[in-house]
Amino acid sequence: MINIDIGATTVAILTLFGIYALMAISLNLEYGVAGVPNFGQALFVSIGAYVAGITYTRLLPLLAGEQVIHPCRQTMGQALQLRSEIMATQPVAGFINLGFTFLIAAVLAGLVGFAVSYVTLRLKEEWFLALVLLVGGEIVRIVVRGADDLICSHNGISGVAQPFYFLDDPRASAVLFMLLALVLAAVAYFYSQRLVHSPFGRMLKGLRENEEVTRGLGKGISLARARIMLIGSMIAAVGGVLFALNTGFVNTNDYVVTLTLDIWVMVVLGGVGNNRGALLGALLIAIMDRITQIAAIVLNMSGSPIEFNYARFILFGVILLLMLRYRPGGLLPESPLTTDAHEILRRVRGR
Amino acid sequence: MPTALLVTSVVNTIQIGSLYALMALGITLTFSVIRLPNFAHAEYVTVGAFAALIVSLSGEVNPLVIMTAAFVVGALAALVSHLAVFKPLEGRNVSLYTLILSSFAVGLILRYILFMIADYFDLFDTRIRIPLQIIYREGALILTNVFAWVAPTSIVLVILLTTLLNGTPLGREMRALANNIGLARVIGIPVERVKNYTWVLVGGLAGVAGALWGLQTAVSPLMGWVAILSVFAAAILGGLSSFSGTILGAYVVAFSENTVMLFLNFNFGVDLAYKPAIPFFIIIVVLLIRPQGFTELFNRGRDLQR
Repeated sequence: MINIDIGATTVAILTLFGIYALMAISLNLEYGVAGVPNFGQALFVSIGAYVAGITYTRLLPLLAGEQVIHPCRQTMGQALQLRSEIMATQPVAGFINLGFTFLIAAVLAGLVGFAVSYVTLRLKEEWFLALVLLVGGEIVRIVVRGADDLICSHNGISGVAQPFYFLDDPRASAVLFMLLALVLAAVAYFYSQRLVHSPFGRMLKGLRENEEVTRGLGKGISLARARIMLIGSMIAAVGGVLFALNTGFVNTNDYVVTLTLDIWVMVVLGGVGNNRGALLGALLIAIMDRITQIAAIVLNMSGSPIEFNYARFILFGVILLLMLRYRPGGLLPESPLTTDAHEILRRVRGR
Repeated sequence: MPTALLVTSVVNTIQIGSLYALMALGITLTFSVIRLPNFAHAEYVTVGAFAALIVSLSGEVNPLVIMTAAFVVGALAALVSHLAVFKPLEGRNVSLYTLILSSFAVGLILRYILFMIADYFDLFDTRIRIPLQIIYREGALILTNVFAWVAPTSIVLVILLTTLLNGTPLGREMRALANNIGLARVIGIPVERVKNYTWVLVGGLAGVAGALWGLQTAVSPLMGWVAILSVFAAAILGGLSSFSGTILGAYVVAFSENTVMLFLNFNFGVDLAYKPAIPFFIIIVVLLIRPQGFTELFNRGRDLQR
């Protein structure tokens, strides 16, 4: 039998929860609140990860006052060693680099999201957007992988170290990274709660329910859709940066349609249109991810002939189907929006 | 670009294009008759390929038996996913995104069940076993009996399906469903039964496509999934409603992936790694610029118009 370190497992689950929460909140704002079918969530997440792969290999050495070594091919090992040394000895350069990574990733993803929302105006049927986004993510993945020097094609970039790598105690470093992920997720959560309960949020829900009526009420719906795609994509890209840092590795193979589906499972499981539901979905999926991993290892070591890693995907598919069929609102369904005026009216009427 | 390479790539185009046509017609049919962009279609192909593989490994089997097994298992997978998943959802009048999402979920489940089976029986990287013979040889061009199976079988099936749709009562009922399901029900067409037949047909043909696909490359649990977006590109070129447009679209996609890609590689040094991006590019361009695809080329009133 293997020993399971409860402390480390909890930290890993909570870190993953923070990262997933960012992705789920982003999709919930886009699909749950505004009704934009983002089947290209992996695209926006991957922008964050690719930017991390580029800044950690190109910008970090400059910030630390070193020469940039080409990260791929013959100089791969050398570049990796340089990265690790800088991350271990110059925390300030690491933090500045991380700041830039977040900034560039968010801006870039935001721009892509903003641009994509205008694509909808040209589409004949609404669901074509789902296909365009899905396919767009795959195109970006193939182009990034095909461009040999960007993030080293099939090899990817390893040694994308967490910002607290310089600490001697790896446990402390992991805990601090967990806190970073949780704090960012909390910021995103409170921000999106405010957004949903603002007039803009109510208008987005109106847009989701009926585009013509919302337009008829004099709302500029294409700009609203562009704004929510911008905000959602920025949050997803921040999640993508953390995702890359968490695995320490940037590889195009991680950002496929399966990742998009995972994020959809979180939102559908938690509750479409409800930010709290997105958090719950992210937490449950983070726990399930870890448990199935551990179960797979335990089963493999005990000589089971069945590969349990595959079961994870079957389980996710079954969860998705069961939720869609029996609880389409999710575990925490969206509650009706009430404004202050609505509250007062309710009290005056005595109901 | 050398002529020998050109000829080989055109042969590939015919072979792969015919398979794409077989699969893409299923997508078009499900979309028109059932109103579902079915991403699980990929897995009916893979399921059929595995059924064919398992039958072929049991000894010297006539290819026709292999194809039949693939048809039956593919049809079964499609019918079960309809009865267990899509039909109950349709009854609840859910949004199209819920249906798309559940088709992804069905695909995911089938795909990883196949992974488990392949892992358990050690079936990775195996081909469907039929005796290989060279039937034609001219310079660098070698045609084997695999080609003699794949291209004609799929072309015959495509013709059969088109005839069925245009000239039989069932085909007429399917077209009625595609055109206006409410009206079809009012005039007494057994809607549920026609839907079931549609699923059997779609899944069966996908299964046969998988078996044929497994003759030319190794069978893998990912084979359908890898091809699905190329197949969607073909169906979208057909405007998701026109049979003739879909068939033409399938050959256009296969031609772009094989001949055009090789041409770009030879003359402009475009890396072959970008090949998978071609169908995606086609999808985006068609959806943005010409969402009706090739439909207007074949506007004879016989297609699955909505």
